[in-house]
Amino acid sequence: MLRVLTRRRLLAGAAAVAASVVLAGCGGSGKAGSQPSAQLSGTITFWHAYSADSQEVKTLNDVIIPGFKKLHPGVDVKQVAIPYDQLHQKLITSAAGGEVPDVLRSDIAWVSELAKLGLLEPLDAAMPDFRTLADSTFPGSLATNKYKGKYYGLPLDTNTRVLMYSQAALDKAGVSAPPKTFDEVKALGDKLAGTGVSAFADNGLSGWNVLPWIWSAGGDITDADYTKATGHLNSAASVAGVQLLFDLYSKKELPGIILGGTGGTSTSDGLATAKYATILDGPWMYPIFASSHPDFKLQVGPMPAGPGGSISVVGGEDVTVFRQSKNKPLALEFTRYLLSQEAQLAMAKVGQMSVLKDLDVTSVNPTYGPFVAQLKSAKPRPPVSNWPKIDDLLQKKLQGAFQGQLTVQQALDQAAAEIDPLLAQG
Amino acid sequence: MSVQTRRYRRTRTVARLVVLSAGAALLIVPFLYMVSTSFKPNSLVFEWPPKFIPHPATLANYVQAWGANDFARYFGNSVLVACASTLATTLLAALAAYAFARFRFPGRSLLFWVLMLGLMVPSVVILIPQYLVATWLHLNNSLSGLVVFYIGAGVALNTFLLRGFFASVATELDEAMEVDGAGPMRRFVALYLPLSRPALATSAVFSFLAAWDEYSWAVTSINDPAKYTLPIAIAQFQGQHATSWGLVFAASVIAMIPVLVVYALAQRHIVTGLQAGALKS
Amino acid sequence: MSTQVTAVPRREAAGEQPTHPPTPGTGRRRAAARRALTAYALLVPAFVVFVVVMLVPIAKAAQVSLYQWSPFPGGESTWVGAANYTRALHDDQFRLGVVNALVYMVITVPGQILLGLVVALLLESRLPARPLFRVLFYLPVVTSWVVVSLLFRYLFVTDGGLVNWVLVDGLHVVDHPVAWLDSRWSAIGAMSALGIWKGVGWAAIILLAGLTGVPAEHHEAAAVDGAGYLRRVWHVTLPALRGQLVFVTVLLVIGGFQVFIQSLLMTNGGPAGQTEMPLTYLYKQAFKYLDFGYGSALAMVMTVLVLVLSVGQTILANRRAA
Repeated sequence: MLRVLTRRRLLAGAAAVAASVVLAGCGGSGKAGSQPSAQLSGTITFWHAYSADSQEVKTLNDVIIPGFKKLHPGVDVKQVAIPYDQLHQKLITSAAGGEVPDVLRSDIAWVSELAKLGLLEPLDAAMPDFRTLADSTFPGSLATNKYKGKYYGLPLDTNTRVLMYSQAALDKAGVSAPPKTFDEVKALGDKLAGTGVSAFADNGLSGWNVLPWIWSAGGDITDADYTKATGHLNSAASVAGVQLLFDLYSKKELPGIILGGTGGTSTSDGLATAKYATILDGPWMYPIFASSHPDFKLQVGPMPAGPGGSISVVGGEDVTVFRQSKNKPLALEFTRYLLSQEAQLAMAKVGQMSVLKDLDVTSVNPTYGPFVAQLKSAKPRPPVSNWPKIDDLLQKKLQGAFQGQLTVQQALDQAAAEIDPLLAQG
Repeated sequence: MSVQTRRYRRTRTVARLVVLSAGAALLIVPFLYMVSTSFKPNSLVFEWPPKFIPHPATLANYVQAWGANDFARYFGNSVLVACASTLATTLLAALAAYAFARFRFPGRSLLFWVLMLGLMVPSVVILIPQYLVATWLHLNNSLSGLVVFYIGAGVALNTFLLRGFFASVATELDEAMEVDGAGPMRRFVALYLPLSRPALATSAVFSFLAAWDEYSWAVTSINDPAKYTLPIAIAQFQGQHATSWGLVFAASVIAMIPVLVVYALAQRHIVTGLQAGALKS
Repeated sequence: MSTQVTAVPRREAAGEQPTHPPTPGTGRRRAAARRALTAYALLVPAFVVFVVVMLVPIAKAAQVSLYQWSPFPGGESTWVGAANYTRALHDDQFRLGVVNALVYMVITVPGQILLGLVVALLLESRLPARPLFRVLFYLPVVTSWVVVSLLFRYLFVTDGGLVNWVLVDGLHVVDHPVAWLDSRWSAIGAMSALGIWKGVGWAAIILLAGLTGVPAEHHEAAAVDGAGYLRRVWHVTLPALRGQLVFVTVLLVIGGFQVFIQSLLMTNGGPAGQTEMPLTYLYKQAFKYLDFGYGSALAMVMTVLVLVLSVGQTILANRRAA
């Protein structure tokens, strides 16, 4: 009697397990959150750099985590807020000591570095529904997670640079609309010559600053597989992109802050006071302008188009899971939840632009519109582990050119030659 | 005192007051700016030119800073850690300084420079090795672990400071006590400690400030937000793209109060120095 | 023991030891050994913590400098021997940083000592509101580096900065605004102003603590002997402060060499890396490029430089005492 019951119990138990496995497997579309599953339990830690008392951290604590816990009763997510300026250093140090979080909101630029160090879980292998999730995000944002053919994260929030302009400054040039093409930028420069107003201003010569110009000119830093810079970085198109800025600078239509010095007028102050006609910047500028220059009406337009189109650079953060996580199923499920429409919408309400292509965020915040449009074609900086070194190298060479020590072509030739071995290191 | 001397003294005093006031004014301008901004609502950037009178003035930043995320707990954590570190560091440094100042032993110079080495190596490169040591000794993610590290980091400077003061205590007094049969510890407690009150107070002020303000190691070692200290709390108010400076400044002003209290308390000991008393029997 | 007035001079930190009561023969050696043991016992508590928290990590860093180090699980560290050091010695950007740091030191160390001494002397004797002044002068020391670096940056901004406003519109010393932060030496000058501003109070309270130990009789005796105030300071006060002055100098030199946050926040190494400092460069190598071996080698080179300077200063100070 006992034996029969036991066997029936066993079969029933096996069936239940099988059923829940099947259910969990079916549930993986990116849209709905996820199925409540009896298997998920325990706690995970989530490291992030949302500032204290900000709307983002409030949303995380009051909306997102409770929403996740409701779907999976009995689990807990411990969020750990780390000051932004220390997050990277702390990650490196903790990883060296073997102490890592389960889930991390990582700057897009760190993913390949962390992946190379063997710290991250390849999500395309770990998540059966990865393809669906990935396809729902902007391709440029997704590409920041790819390292050596595998995906080590998913986009979490994104942003890009668009053209911001001062109508008052444009009026001084007798122009009614912001420049939409390279030629219009050059023309704006000529019209503003001698007026004391700069046609364009930017505060550095690193990838974040110059890549929109290089890409829009039809050039690129490397080939599509990020293996070689020579032939790409120093191609005629890339040179033309940088040359545009250089010519403006030599004609004094671009201010000296391009060299990175901190004594000049910042891009935001200059725009608001009509000293600079145009700058490139991101959606965070809206609240900043509202606070520092409440009388200034911020207007935006697309990145000026060159022969390559209007292509800007992708910024933002990715969500990653650590290989040494002790509760990977829960970590992966939380990652999935962060990409759900509810979570993305909740964050979009507080200034974090969603990575989901088809989510209408302009209903949440109309100022997102131009950024969403730009994101459709925006590209990421090369997701290679050596990017910080490559970036600094590029900046140094270009600084040399702007300081008159070399021509732009020479600077890019030399930079490409020195970047090739760095790319080879992966 | 003659009328002339009195007038001379008064002119001297007035001159000193003028110079000191001018100097103090120059030095406190940034602090005044900090305080005034902390009373301004919602300022995301540094205003330039600075307006020193907040208009409208508001306490909102202080309320928000204190109420945010367990700020009171971080404050409490910092108090515990700083007090414990200060007591322990001053004690250990005093013992070591006594040895360096008043004893002759093999390796004295070498040991002293080894201690000084601790001050000279940039802390950035020892961060990961320290983290590994702390992991091995289970000193990470705990307030007592922080205290141990702050003591280790602070003994070098304070020993150096106290050594100079102990060495300048008149040796005749030491000799007299030894002739009377007092052992080294008794001389330490009965002679050196009382005579070095200004130095000990100064050492306490420095240790407290160092422990109170220490940020880099705290943020690295602590993973549990319940154990965060104040500098971490303040840094958390700084955002990636924009910072609410009013909030940061309000938090910073709150954080400065204990340090100034400790300093003010210590000042009495620093300045009521011992003058002729050191030489009297 | 009767009170003496001027006949008891202050002892220096250099080598002066109390003479111990005489003991016969081998007793002397045993007494000396006992004293040495007492000394070691006194050192043990501090050194135990110091060795664990500082010395072991320093030794590890020194070891790391001989490798291409990867501290991460599964990472490989390869032995490179002195390669990191030869690279450091030929590194132009590092050399630039060292020069910048030396200039910064040469300006800020005497600046802080001199002004700190002046403040200490002014606060030495009784004065109305003296406690208030002591707190006010200490305020810069406790104000956060982040806040003051950013504030000073705005002070030195080319258009609209307070310093330029004073120079151009206020004092009419120059015709047009100086681009302080846009060229190497003027930017270092601005950073030095910040360094001095922040450190004066620190130097002052140490020197003040030292001054309180200088007996008033010495001053009175010297005054009776006809010495003016400055002469008295030179001959009576300064020698008495020797220990504290050495301390302050050595620490300010170490601190000057390790200048970090001001450089980062005031100039960010700009323009074009001209105001890079050794520590910002080192930090970049270690935590941005993850080249810990090279970063450690740079740190060791910096340490040796500072050690040489510090030992040199101490020897000079002791020689002048003798």
